[in-house]
Amino acid sequence: MAIHGSNSEKDWQIIGLLRQRGVDKRKGEESLFSEYAYFIREGIRKHRLSEEEAFDVYSDSVLAVIDNISNETFQGNSSLKSYLYKIFHNKCVDLFRKNATNKNSVNRALSIDEELFRLSDKSRSIVQTLIEQADWKLLKERLEQLGDDCRRMLLLWSDSYSDKEIAVVMDYKTANVVKTSRLRCLGKLRQLYQVV
Amino acid sequence: MESLEYIDAYFGGEFPPEEASRFEKRIQEDPVFADEVAYYLGVLSAGREANRTERKERFRELYRDGAGMGRTAMVRKMGPRKWLVVTAAAAVVAMIVMAWLLYLRPADPSRLAGNYIRENLALLPVKLGREDSLAKGINLYNSGKFPEALQQYDELLRWDSLNTVALNYAGIVSLRMENYDKALDYFIKLEHYTDPHVNPALFYEALTLLGRNHTGDAERAKKLLKQIVEKGLNKQADAQELLGKL
Repeated sequence: MAIHGSNSEKDWQIIGLLRQRGVDKRKGEESLFSEYAYFIREGIRKHRLSEEEAFDVYSDSVLAVIDNISNETFQGNSSLKSYLYKIFHNKCVDLFRKNATNKNSVNRALSIDEELFRLSDKSRSIVQTLIEQADWKLLKERLEQLGDDCRRMLLLWSDSYSDKEIAVVMDYKTANVVKTSRLRCLGKLRQLYQVV
Repeated sequence: MESLEYIDAYFGGEFPPEEASRFEKRIQEDPVFADEVAYYLGVLSAGREANRTERKERFRELYRDGAGMGRTAMVRKMGPRKWLVVTAAAAVVAMIVMAWLLYLRPADPSRLAGNYIRENLALLPVKLGREDSLAKGINLYNSGKFPEALQQYDELLRWDSLNTVALNYAGIVSLRMENYDKALDYFIKLEHYTDPHVNPALFYEALTLLGRNHTGDAERAKKLLKQIVEKGLNKQADAQELLGKL
């Protein structure tokens, strides 16, 4: 993948870090955020957002770019700056419009779109209805109450770490041991969640 | 846990088409199972939201610490008299700065390191006829694919953590990626396991310190370079040249 546009060496460094795991990936995330954080001022000035709104939109944009680099949606047809700015600008416009029309929207389950769309329409509809009816606040509270190891493992798993990668990060012997532990943690969380 | 294992296998892409169909049918016919699937995806979603929240909190800290502040611009209008005074003052300051830049400023360690890297480490030497992992890593490096090259060397080091060539090249790739802390890890490890008359670990350690240029790094780099020159170690001539510019 060749990066077009200016600052290609800097872009390469950030992309390289974002494709690593652990500390390196964190460095990449923080480099990307810091490099273009002045966009927040643009959000305030040009799009008339509050500072908090502009910060939120910028952070969401950075997270979107991080995801798109990880899943290789970002093909390098533009510089990181242009790519990020495009996402940021569109989100600012969306938020400005949303503020103007007082619409409220619930952003549930967007993060599991990929998994949901593996199911047929009928199955997906059943599962989505169940998801909408569930008490997610309680589930998140129970996730916080899990032991440190289980919580960390489930957070890594939901951050798309494979069992093999989790084994390296958490110093487990093999991917199979991680898989067994992970499923046990899911079972444990299930029990906590079912206790009211 | 059996259901969760079965659900995990489905979303892990482990099922052939027939089994995937049976999985879907079960969702449609068994409400308890459908609930388990909803729970499984719910945990995934909750985990992703928690990760997202954690990242945003880190970004907030960075923003509080001043990320992005240096690049805002404010435009103010000035009267003509004030313009003249400001312009004259700016011209004087510019002349002083130019004189300092040209004649008085000590060499910037990062820039020195950057120049050396550009001139000497733009490409790694290719050994003809060699097609092993090391060669693959070199080709990736020479094609500008630094993360992939580093992955190649890290893979080699997982099998043999004391592979001196892999350690050296992993350090150089990390240096090119400006991942100075990681580069130092590789070069320090290399330094402990090989003869400094033969390997360039001390020199590259000094180069990395110059590139990183944290407090005390330039002094440490100078000490290493002096050691290389005085003891006639590997890269003596390069060390001498860098010392001359520091």
